[in-house]
Amino acid sequence: MDEVFKALADPTRRGLLDELLVQDGQTLSALVERAPMSRFGVMKHLKVLEEAGLVTTRRRGREKLHFLNPVPIQLIHERWVSKYAEPWASALSRLKNEIEEDQR
Amino acid sequence: MNDEQLYTVVGGRGTMTVFEIYIKTTPERLWEAITDGEMRKKYSFGVGTVSDWTAGSEYRSAVPGIVEIASGENVEVDPPRRLVQTFTAQWSEDVKREGTSRVTWEIEPVGDSCRLAVTHDQLGEGANSELYGGWPMILSGLKTLLESGELLDTPGSLRFSGAGDSAS
Repeated sequence: MDEVFKALADPTRRGLLDELLVQDGQTLSALVERAPMSRFGVMKHLKVLEEAGLVTTRRRGREKLHFLNPVPIQLIHERWVSKYAEPWASALSRLKNEIEEDQR
Repeated sequence: MNDEQLYTVVGGRGTMTVFEIYIKTTPERLWEAITDGEMRKKYSFGVGTVSDWTAGSEYRSAVPGIVEIASGENVEVDPPRRLVQTFTAQWSEDVKREGTSRVTWEIEPVGDSCRLAVTHDQLGEGANSELYGGWPMILSGLKTLLESGELLDTPGSLRFSGAGDSAS
């Protein structure tokens, strides 16, 4: 979990995650094009994100594609936030059920 | 099979999403948790999955009599390493219109743990995010179940579990 927080503690790396959130599965070249830094800089930041498990890669032909992996952030959410969200979520799903019942 | 082969996208088209998680368990236990209908209920919003898990067989994820979630074919079944399934969502009219996509489960032992990768691809461009939005919660619930033996007690994680019990 240390690695996740360390990776997220940098605005450039958060920016790269934002890029992948908008368009998942980008190549290094595509990410470099929109980043205000060198190819080497982007590679370095992607490596930190990969080591934290926030970015994962897949090969497609000769291309290496980068994907946002939200699971480590889900684990953080579950550790500290889920307790507070529970009553809200169940109230919302009850409301949804009631509305759907009414529509039948 | 080396890392490179395992994570090469085969026949990749359309939108693709990838979810990865490390779970302290063996590939065999992880495979069991994915393919055992009762275990599956415990981390999949209370929804069980029924299949005989042979290549070419069908599977069905549902709370019988309450809600149909998804169905499809088990295209590749290679325990305890790799499972490829077609995926047709059925929980609403909106998701039904999205048609059939593909889900690939890959298990790779790493030290005393396993890396589980779920790749959901062959989705239409701009696919409804409901189709793949449940994976982070499902995977973290699976981790909790295997590592602590406890159920994940998060919003929605057991949404249908009460309904399932009363229906059975």
